[in-house]
Amino acid sequence: MSIPEKIGNYISGRIQALARMIFFAVKVFRRVMTPATYNSATRTVLINQIYFTSVQILPVFLLVSAVVGSLFIGVVFQALKNLGLVSLLGNVLMGLIVTELSPFFTVLLITLRSGAAINAEIAAMQVNREIKALEVFRIDIIDYLLAPRVVNGIISVVLLSFLFSIVLMTSGILFSRVIFGISTDVYVNILLNSTNFSDIVVALLKCAAFGFFITLIPIYSGLQATHELTSIPIVVSRGMVRVFAAILVIEVLSLLIRLL
Amino acid sequence: MTLFAGEEALDKAMRKFMRARPRHAAPVSHDFPLISNLEAWLNIALIKQYHENMPVEASRNMVLGLLRNLGLEKIAEKRNPALGEEERFYVMLLRAAMVERAAIVIDRPFKMLPQLKNFHAVLMALKTIDGLYASCDIYDYDWMKDKYGALCR
Repeated sequence: MSIPEKIGNYISGRIQALARMIFFAVKVFRRVMTPATYNSATRTVLINQIYFTSVQILPVFLLVSAVVGSLFIGVVFQALKNLGLVSLLGNVLMGLIVTELSPFFTVLLITLRSGAAINAEIAAMQVNREIKALEVFRIDIIDYLLAPRVVNGIISVVLLSFLFSIVLMTSGILFSRVIFGISTDVYVNILLNSTNFSDIVVALLKCAAFGFFITLIPIYSGLQATHELTSIPIVVSRGMVRVFAAILVIEVLSLLIRLL
Repeated sequence: MTLFAGEEALDKAMRKFMRARPRHAAPVSHDFPLISNLEAWLNIALIKQYHENMPVEASRNMVLGLLRNLGLEKIAEKRNPALGEEERFYVMLLRAAMVERAAIVIDRPFKMLPQLKNFHAVLMALKTIDGLYASCDIYDYDWMKDKYGALCR
């Protein structure tokens, strides 16, 4: 096979793989939106998943948000003061922190903690033939395994991102008083005046897209495991690379939407 | 019960059985293990919760009652790796019995229960859950005939 043929085959293979994943994502999205998907079993999985992803992580998440957020706010406020851009305080807080930093930071934490776990869990189920057992008992994999995890991903990223923003805004009260000598009332007023409805909508959509893909891709990768134990690390690492690529793509797309 | 000359014939018959009863086939087989990250009771209750939308509490009470009847209520909260061979087999049997009008097929029981001396204990368990399934068949090899005693005569 000549080099151009090899390149063509490689690109064609990549495009086909991407098309399969997009087709799968559409199928899962449709199922997530169908009320009949949510029976007693899937609701139980959903509640457990929300507990594992959003509740168990709370102490660490709050601590990391407070430390990283305060550092970030302190540095940004100091830079604004040094550059004489205090008038842009509200825009920076709402435009940078709420719509960019919070979703990105949240999705990174959840991906590292839950994305890898979901990927390994599904791959292990595939290796142990547990997926096959579910199918034999006519339990739909998308309904039972995917839909609750994907919905949990969306809910968790949106809520934790909101929480991260709250923590940062709260630490902003302290730093604005120390660095700019601004009272709480004035700070809140600046924030409210800088709030842009379209930014909030884009941020929410971005969080939802993050949540959807950081759970869908690990499950999709996990399902590609063979019946050999050695396939688990392969599909987990492949899944995590795909997740980080998806995060970057969503981030770029959201920036483009905001610029348009 | 049905006996086969070899693995290929048995596997073929198993597939045929499953295809012929797409809604009611309920295998108890080494090839279809319990879900590792679910407790024993939830492995059993899952079928009712999923197919009949049975509430969690009701399905839990029902499964605990069934496990009690088999003298296995203490294993309800255990997960698959923590179960003994016999416990695992009975959980798989109960899971199969949860299928609506279940056509249970036990695939090579002695493969799952190598320590079992004779089939009497399994027959007693099947009798205990008699009302839960529509039919029950056992697939095994010809050379295992003696292990089933009166069942083959």
